Amino acid sequence: MSDRAPVPPPPLLETLMRDTLDPGYQRAAQRRSAGEPTPSPRASRNWLAAGTLVVGLLLAVAFTTTRAGHADANQVRAALLADVSRAQAQEAALVASVTALDDEVRLAQSAAGGSGPLAQLAVLEDLAALTAVTGPGLRITLNDPNAATGNGAVLDRDLQLLVNGLWSAGAEAVAISDVRLRVTSAIRQAGGAILVDNRPVAWPIVIQAIGDPRSVHQRFISTPGFGRFSSFVQLYDIGFEVLVVDSVTLPAAAAVDARYLETTSSTSGPATTPEAGTATATGTGAGIGTAAVTETTAATTG
Amino acid sequence: MYAVIALAVGLAIGLLTSPTVPDWLGPYLPIAVVAALDAVLGGLRAKLTNVFDAKVFVVSFIANVLVAALIVFLGDQLGVGSELSTAVVVVLGIRIFGNAAAIRRHFFNA
Repeated sequence: MSDRAPVPPPPLLETLMRDTLDPGYQRAAQRRSAGEPTPSPRASRNWLAAGTLVVGLLLAVAFTTTRAGHADANQVRAALLADVSRAQAQEAALVASVTALDDEVRLAQSAAGGSGPLAQLAVLEDLAALTAVTGPGLRITLNDPNAATGNGAVLDRDLQLLVNGLWSAGAEAVAISDVRLRVTSAIRQAGGAILVDNRPVAWPIVIQAIGDPRSVHQRFISTPGFGRFSSFVQLYDIGFEVLVVDSVTLPAAAAVDARYLETTSSTSGPATTPEAGTATATGTGAGIGTAAVTETTAATTG
Repeated sequence: MYAVIALAVGLAIGLLTSPTVPDWLGPYLPIAVVAALDAVLGGLRAKLTNVFDAKVFVVSFIANVLVAALIVFLGDQLGVGSELSTAVVVVLGIRIFGNAAAIRRHFFNA
């Protein structure tokens, strides 16, 4: 074996672990011991001071930057939370003022004489769920123990089926966790949350319905929604409780903001009895464009 | 001694003035910090083994910061993402641990 055999390069990881000190130090020491000229002590002191100054500055800047970043994130989070709660408080105040103003309007109307068109208006408002109502009915309490973890067994379509069962059993007004259902209400799901009219409702969900307690209860039991939830109780450990209550109070629903519909100038005079199925929507061919709907067809007879 | 004083002065300036770091410099700050720690521990170990050289200390520190920043910059530009900064942290981290172990052995003989 000749001594000119190539020396294998040192393994990368081994040198990485072994030669942790910068090789420059060793070489500088060798140069010094070989008698080469070295910088003056004063110059090397200045080098050292400058280097450590920069190191200290860097560490301090990194420290303050990191701290400031955390503080910023916390501040933003707190500010967002404050914004959310402020907006919620404002919404609640606005809803309360809407209800109060509606009551005022109704008082003024009844003072002006509660007969004729005004009485009809009151009926229509009741049907459109624009007034808070109270009466005997059912209270259904649903609880899904796994809903909080996002693995809930109850889906939006189950609630839709249940509520449709209530309507078909003769309920006159329904509210889900204090969100009153109106004609255009939707029960949907976004992730694990149930949205009623785009408002999230929290578990346990309480569905209240007004109607003749005995007949509504009787007919409700034979609806598919009731059957589905009865099987949920056995299969998924869902809490499902139906109570007949003497008096429940349901809040008013928000009015539908009519953005597209316009009333046609009807020449036949005001209809005396609102009837179902008399809608004369004239589409303009623009998909969801403006549609003219006669005023009395917004509600159906109960 | 001068080194300790200068380090303290640098820390004090940084903490008191708390300069704002521009956003584009953000990704390089952690890398620079790791390089700085590596330089400090390396210098301390060299001092303890009597091979310390101020010029080597400064030059190796600045060069390490620049090379590490360049690697991270290249990684960002070429779509390697943060993997290359992980590589920098691993290599410099190993050196930091090795030097810290050498310093420990020097002080405690263990």
